[in-house]
Amino acid sequence: MILEVRGLAAGYQGSDVIRAIDFHVDAGEAVMIIGSNGAGKTTLFRSMLGLLPASSGQVRFQGSEIVGMPAQRIARLGISFVPAERHLFPRMTVLENLYLGAYPDRPDPETDDMVMDLFPRLAERRRQHAGTLSGGEQQMLAMGRALMGKPRLLVLDEPTTGLAPKLAAEAYQALDVLRGKGLTVLVAEQQVPLAMAFSDRGYVMENGVFELEGSSEELANNPQVRRSYLGVT
Amino acid sequence: MIANILDGIVLGLQFGLLAAGLTLVYGLGGVLNLAYGQMAVLSAIATLFAIDAGVPTLPAVGVGLAVGVLLGLIFDQTILRPIYRIQGEARVLLSLLLTLGVAFIVDGYLTWRYPTEGLSIRIGGGPIDILGVPMRRGSIVASVITLLALGALFAFFRGTTLGRAVRSVIEDEEGARLVGIDPRRMLRVILALSGFLAALVAITQSMVRPVTVTAGFGITVFALIVTVVGGLGSVTGAMFAGIILGMVNNIAASYIGTFLSLLILLGAAALTILIRPSGLLGVKE
Repeated sequence: MILEVRGLAAGYQGSDVIRAIDFHVDAGEAVMIIGSNGAGKTTLFRSMLGLLPASSGQVRFQGSEIVGMPAQRIARLGISFVPAERHLFPRMTVLENLYLGAYPDRPDPETDDMVMDLFPRLAERRRQHAGTLSGGEQQMLAMGRALMGKPRLLVLDEPTTGLAPKLAAEAYQALDVLRGKGLTVLVAEQQVPLAMAFSDRGYVMENGVFELEGSSEELANNPQVRRSYLGVT
Repeated sequence: MIANILDGIVLGLQFGLLAAGLTLVYGLGGVLNLAYGQMAVLSAIATLFAIDAGVPTLPAVGVGLAVGVLLGLIFDQTILRPIYRIQGEARVLLSLLLTLGVAFIVDGYLTWRYPTEGLSIRIGGGPIDILGVPMRRGSIVASVITLLALGALFAFFRGTTLGRAVRSVIEDEEGARLVGIDPRRMLRVILALSGFLAALVAITQSMVRPVTVTAGFGITVFALIVTVVGGLGSVTGAMFAGIILGMVNNIAASYIGTFLSLLILLGAAALTILIRPSGLLGVKE
């Protein structure tokens, strides 16, 4: 088990948005958390990764407790997070953004090559400022930057936000390649069909709690999931 | 006229370097340090005392620069601690009040204890002609040091991992944390750098005209004006604004009068706020 979350609760201004969250991710797995807008997926990730204080619960990463650690320390332990807003460095070049992903180390040439192979568009635009990239390119850069830190676990919050269907599919193709290389991936998604085709298992989040869990196949056949998230009536 | 422009550029580069120290701390930490000029003066006085104690000029300058760095670090560890705990606009306000308090205390102490002291580093030899204008050696040495410092500053921000990490915090603090950068640590680096720049500008200034114990507020005001015109948080903007205002200052001083040049500079700052609130190259919010 690479990540284990137990009884996690967190929120804003004293009221919990998410409650009693239990889940885990095994090494090499791809796990999805699906749910509608406002279900609490982002709050879950932010509290898990030190960007928002958790009000109770435990988060263990590779056996060590990480609740209460600042985000920068968690990042250095080997979890790379790609937030929905991406948080790139707009007035720095693509290359500078990527190199900072390896902070505090120098960028590893092999990882650099791997990222450039995965996203050839970034190689073309290496000297361009991140702020001038299109939405799809920015998403690629955010993923590339996250990979430069050679994470053990890649966490993505709605990687398809604001992307045209073709680009959204491309983002998941890249994730498929990364999985093939043995990377463990945890993704929160509203575009359920893409996430479902990609992941092994999943959890369904509603109103701050997990309502359902199962293999992606089980969830795809669940009538409730089909109705709410796959548009099948 | 050429003499005014050349002198103005020299002064402007120093303004720019001075403002860089102020604008970086603001861009990174949301803190405006009104005791910045006093940091510069204290470093100059430390240099003066070292020279008076018989230390040769060059090592004495080293002492002054070290004092600047130390003052930056002391600031970071003491007065800025409560400020960092507050977020948003309240942080700027609290920083203004607390650092202004420190500025008054330092200024008061210095004028009471050492009313007539001033650092003046004399560089011997006659003037050198540049573009047909005789320039004092002190000005030339000061300009060369300022240019070298500027080059080093840009090399640091563009070419080193630490420099890029500092910029990344200015660009997007959360993004920086996500790649493992501790914003608090970067702020410490920048306060040390800010103290160094304040000391360097005070020392190079003293090669042209004496830096007295009462110079602190003047230095802060100049740095603030340049920062406002150049854009808060932008080093390149500070350099542009510094050069423009340096020339404006010198031309105004020689054609209209010194007493009005400060008013004209303040006017330039006010005009910038009206037309382009984010400054020449500032980040739009």
